[in-house]
Amino acid sequence: MKLVTCNMKLATIRKMIKLKINNTEIEVEDGTSVMKAAQSMGIDIPNMCWNDELEHFTSCMLCMVKNSGTGRLLPSCSVKAVEGMQILTEDEEVVESRKTALELLLSEHVGDCEAPCQVACPAHMDIPKMNRLIAAGKLDEALEVVKHDIALPAILGRICPAPCEGACHRKTVDEPVSICLLKRIVGDDGVEPNLSGIEKTGKKVAVIGAGPAGLAAAYYLQLKGIQVTLFDKNEKAGGLLRTAINDEILPKEVLDREIAAILKTGVLFEGGKAISAEKYAEIKSGYDAVVLATGALAENAEVFGLKANPKGIEADKSTYQTSDEKVFAIGNVLRSSRLAVRSVGQGKEVAHSVLQFLNKQKVLGEPRLFNSRFGRLVANEYAEYLKESIDTKRTLPKSGVQSGFTRDEAVAEAKRCLHCDCRAIDDCKLREYSTYYQADQKRFNTGARRSITKQVSHGSVVYEPQKCIKCGICVRLTEKYTERFGFTYIGRGFDVVVGVPFEEALEKGLTGTAVKVAKSCPTGAISLKE
Amino acid sequence: MSEYFTYIDQLIAEKGSTKKSLIPILQSIQKKYNYLPEDALRYLADRSEITSAEIIGVASFYSQFRLHPVGEHMIKVCIGTACHVKGAVQVYDAFRRELKLKEGINTDEAGKYTIEKVACLGCCTLAPVVQIDGTTYGHVASDQVEQIIEDFESIKGKKDTGKARKADGTQLQGEIRIGLGSCCVASGSKEIQEEVEAVVNESGLRVSLKHVGCVGMCHQVPLVEVVPNEGEPTLYAKVKPEDVKNIVESHFQAPGLFAKLKNKLMHTVETIQTDRNWEGVERYEISMREKPVASFLGNQLPIATEYRGMINPLDINEYKKRGGFSALQKVFESYSPQEVVDQIKQSGIRGRGGGGFPTGIKWEAVRKQNSEVKYLICNGDEGDPGAFMDRMLLESYPYRIIEGMTIAAYATGIHHGYFYIRAEYPLAVKRIREALKICHENNLLGKNILGTGFDLDFQIYEGAGAFVCGEETALIASIEGNRGFPRIRPPFPAESGLFGKPTLVNNTETFAQIAYILREGWEKFAEIGTARSTGTKVFALAGKVARGGLIEVPMGITIREVIEEIGGGIANGKKFKAVQIGGPSGGCIPAEFADTPINFESLQEMGAMMGSGGLVVLDETDCMVDIARYFLSFTQEESCGKCTFCRVGTRRMLDILENITSGKGKQGDIQELEKLAEWTAKGSLCGLGRTAPNPVLSTLKYFRDEYEAHINGVCPTGKCSHLIKYSVNDNCIGCTKCVQKCPVDAIPFTPHEKHSIDTELCIKCDACRAACPVDAIDVK
Repeated sequence: MKLVTCNMKLATIRKMIKLKINNTEIEVEDGTSVMKAAQSMGIDIPNMCWNDELEHFTSCMLCMVKNSGTGRLLPSCSVKAVEGMQILTEDEEVVESRKTALELLLSEHVGDCEAPCQVACPAHMDIPKMNRLIAAGKLDEALEVVKHDIALPAILGRICPAPCEGACHRKTVDEPVSICLLKRIVGDDGVEPNLSGIEKTGKKVAVIGAGPAGLAAAYYLQLKGIQVTLFDKNEKAGGLLRTAINDEILPKEVLDREIAAILKTGVLFEGGKAISAEKYAEIKSGYDAVVLATGALAENAEVFGLKANPKGIEADKSTYQTSDEKVFAIGNVLRSSRLAVRSVGQGKEVAHSVLQFLNKQKVLGEPRLFNSRFGRLVANEYAEYLKESIDTKRTLPKSGVQSGFTRDEAVAEAKRCLHCDCRAIDDCKLREYSTYYQADQKRFNTGARRSITKQVSHGSVVYEPQKCIKCGICVRLTEKYTERFGFTYIGRGFDVVVGVPFEEALEKGLTGTAVKVAKSCPTGAISLKE
Repeated sequence: MSEYFTYIDQLIAEKGSTKKSLIPILQSIQKKYNYLPEDALRYLADRSEITSAEIIGVASFYSQFRLHPVGEHMIKVCIGTACHVKGAVQVYDAFRRELKLKEGINTDEAGKYTIEKVACLGCCTLAPVVQIDGTTYGHVASDQVEQIIEDFESIKGKKDTGKARKADGTQLQGEIRIGLGSCCVASGSKEIQEEVEAVVNESGLRVSLKHVGCVGMCHQVPLVEVVPNEGEPTLYAKVKPEDVKNIVESHFQAPGLFAKLKNKLMHTVETIQTDRNWEGVERYEISMREKPVASFLGNQLPIATEYRGMINPLDINEYKKRGGFSALQKVFESYSPQEVVDQIKQSGIRGRGGGGFPTGIKWEAVRKQNSEVKYLICNGDEGDPGAFMDRMLLESYPYRIIEGMTIAAYATGIHHGYFYIRAEYPLAVKRIREALKICHENNLLGKNILGTGFDLDFQIYEGAGAFVCGEETALIASIEGNRGFPRIRPPFPAESGLFGKPTLVNNTETFAQIAYILREGWEKFAEIGTARSTGTKVFALAGKVARGGLIEVPMGITIREVIEEIGGGIANGKKFKAVQIGGPSGGCIPAEFADTPINFESLQEMGAMMGSGGLVVLDETDCMVDIARYFLSFTQEESCGKCTFCRVGTRRMLDILENITSGKGKQGDIQELEKLAEWTAKGSLCGLGRTAPNPVLSTLKYFRDEYEAHINGVCPTGKCSHLIKYSVNDNCIGCTKCVQKCPVDAIPFTPHEKHSIDTELCIKCDACRAACPVDAIDVK
């Protein structure tokens, strides 16, 4: 008898049903959710409140799909597949629904993905990360971080007008962190990163013009395994850096040392010859791609035979590709600018475009991710940020700005960083989906924003409630693992918050589950400290 | 040892130590301490299986619970729809000024009064309404706040002086009926009752004193009906205690003793509130034959409210005498459960809670479930801020509802049922509790009902204040002791509901109509109304209508018939503008569509919905953008906060509406609002979010020009305070009445000269305009 019952149970479990997802038929076990059915076909369904350890909850509403039979949208995480169902997962209405849901969530998600300094930096350098390494005394590692985006830190550390410091959150209540001088000491004192072991692609690219843009482009292309030849009309590389800047501000040895470091990566330099139309044609046919970084010179356009306007050569704003698909243009040749850091940043970005072009991929340029931003930091929030920083005045180099920071000064100053970047920057579903669906955070910017708070008392995790999107995963996980206090919903409606009951400290709410909860948070509300 | 420990231990022992006892335990704690002390809650977590997270989650979800101590007395300002359109916000602001409350603080410095807004006190016809502890004040104007507090101070502690009197029963000269619905009680019927008892006691008259449920004529409360054994009955409306003696005397011959006591009886009871204090002497003697009353009641068709005003809610013999429990008897004797389901299906009755799902199909689904345990729930969580049908039905016809539920239980094979009633309806809870007890005593409930072998038990679950709990999955979550989070359907409660068992959830009004269907036959019910909306519907008619109240009308009646014939048209000679049907889930139907018949389909077509049955009439002075904003502020607050579209979507819609009504609207706002409304409707998880945009969408549809005017800085009706200015025109006679009323000294004291208003100081409380005897205050 027992055996029979058992078989019957198995039989019911194994009942299969057929449905169509995006017009493809699929067979799944009865009871399977539409989301799981779609995933089993390799279809990606965005979700934030779903967690494999837990029952479905249906709060984020990102997993909407369309039942084309009824025309209705339904949350696929919690709707079970039914025989004969017809589902569309990427139809226009579904996409709009997901985008709208994201925009609603973003309107109550108060936090920065990247720190405002990084967003403001034309080269998009990861400044908070550099600051943390400097504060820990790790200048060599800091240099690696800097050189990921800025090929000429010691130089820029002397001449950059530092738009980053203008955006520093600390500026609204105190003085900004002295980012530029920090970058300078990293460039001066850090040991160049070891770049051995880069795989060669066998491709050849010519970079014409060895100013800041060309040097940077050469450097980053070379790092991508491309053999670069850098052409310049002058004997020595450096462009305007060598000719237009006072030696006291930018000593030649600093310039030479940083250029040498770039050439050391294997870049071939051919200087002393102006590029004529014939020479240009020769280069173009001899190389897989060309990067123009010749600076603001009027005759360029004719020599290169590219589409141009009165300001300079025309190129795509994000890929720098010109009217000739093989030719890319960066720096002052596009538009005259005195901002070397912009040229240096473009040198880095164009390397992405060129590589995509060489790999016959769609040329999109450097991937740009969605950035959540909340605007100005206000005085009462400053105290919250100071929980992870120190309340000291801006450090001034003892021996004058001209000579830069000493190591001790640099460490002290780097500690002033408020670490505005999100810890979950590389592991945030909200950011990932907002990028994919091109969500606009400002769309529902209709009311006052919430005031930011930070809970940092826990040994291993940090909680930033205003980033919470109320998916309830932490509430459900702490319940499942029977935390004594755990997390709970407090209040209701728009004003609902997730927190530890009785306003107990974070470390009381999260004991054994802290790491699991932080890892399960779909955004950066609860994140691991390190 | 904290003072709370013994009490908590006792509560756990009494109510249980698992999650499903949580809400009742919290209710008891709050009842005792007036709030939920943290130490008590912590101790509860320590001593029971309920976790801290569950306790805080639940305590912070339901609006009934307070986590902080409050003042000695609670001032509850009703901001229901009817009160809103009659100036509740000004009244609330006036109380705040009177108590000198700073922003964000709700208790005065002395710790004496705490003020709070409440969604609806269910006295819509007395709007605006304020309740201080147990005393209700109706028709409150913002300049009467000081008087009210004084009055409350003077009557404090003098309450509960009434003595019950048992009518002798023999040799009666007649009957005096007193309405004891919440509306009547709120308007002072308790005092009338006390006075009648006093008069009757002291005179030695042999009349029976009868408490009847709500008559529905809430615009005339308190009502007293005198029914002599000989002669016509007379109905007295808006009776004052001092009138009682005269009324009684004019109908009944008192024994000699009466005259001697005459002088003594002249003492009037001092504890009367509401109308009497403000309206001067206003007494009507109305008879059923008089036109207004006849038309108020004449067009109606009572099924759920059968024998309204005639039967004592708790007198089971009288209920039986009038056909009560005969349907149940008939069902037990002659129908199989399936036959009952068939009758219900054929009657065409659809859920009266708003959705309009066919009741018979729901019953069938539950009936088919093979489960030993199934549950029945009467949904009395009436959260619509402009409706009080369920409350009235529960208070006035408890047996009718019990009978309907018993029939449902028999038809679907259920042996355990719940009454889910809002805790804000204490009288309803009390009546049902009493009625259940009496039913048990009469073997109408319990084991082996009427010898049929059928067992059925009911228990009462008091809802703790959450509009979303009207949604059945949220209601179930709430009974299970959780936050009222709805969940996705399917599975429907019929398959997996309360505690995972098949569950039948029907609205109170639906149950109140079941006995009629089975007693009279489904054919008779189906004949009433329209083809797809059969039977009758109970509505709470309120707002700017001349005669408001509880009405029961056949489906298919037009809006015009309801407003003009039953409601007597618009009050104060104003022009009819629109009617808001269905509360926060419904919409506004403009005057030009007044001939729309009221049924499920046609209302939906018009962008409104039946909802629970609130019917708030608006006149030309009402701003439609403000109405939309009002409802959104309600749903936004009542959103459970679970799904993105509702939690954030309703808030963002409200933001846009607040911007528009405060003069910060910009081009494009209307389009964005419309788009967001559509997405909130499409993307929300449950009915609350899916219907929350209706008030916005329907006003956008019919009154878009008003939205556009606001964007251009003009509120056409002068309701939106940020867009208007008060000024004095040449009619001014310099009487200084406005000066004395102005709470912020914005009008200089210039007797015999034309006054002026300092618009910088003016807070637009409207007190000056109300006080002006010559219409000299302009609002533009």
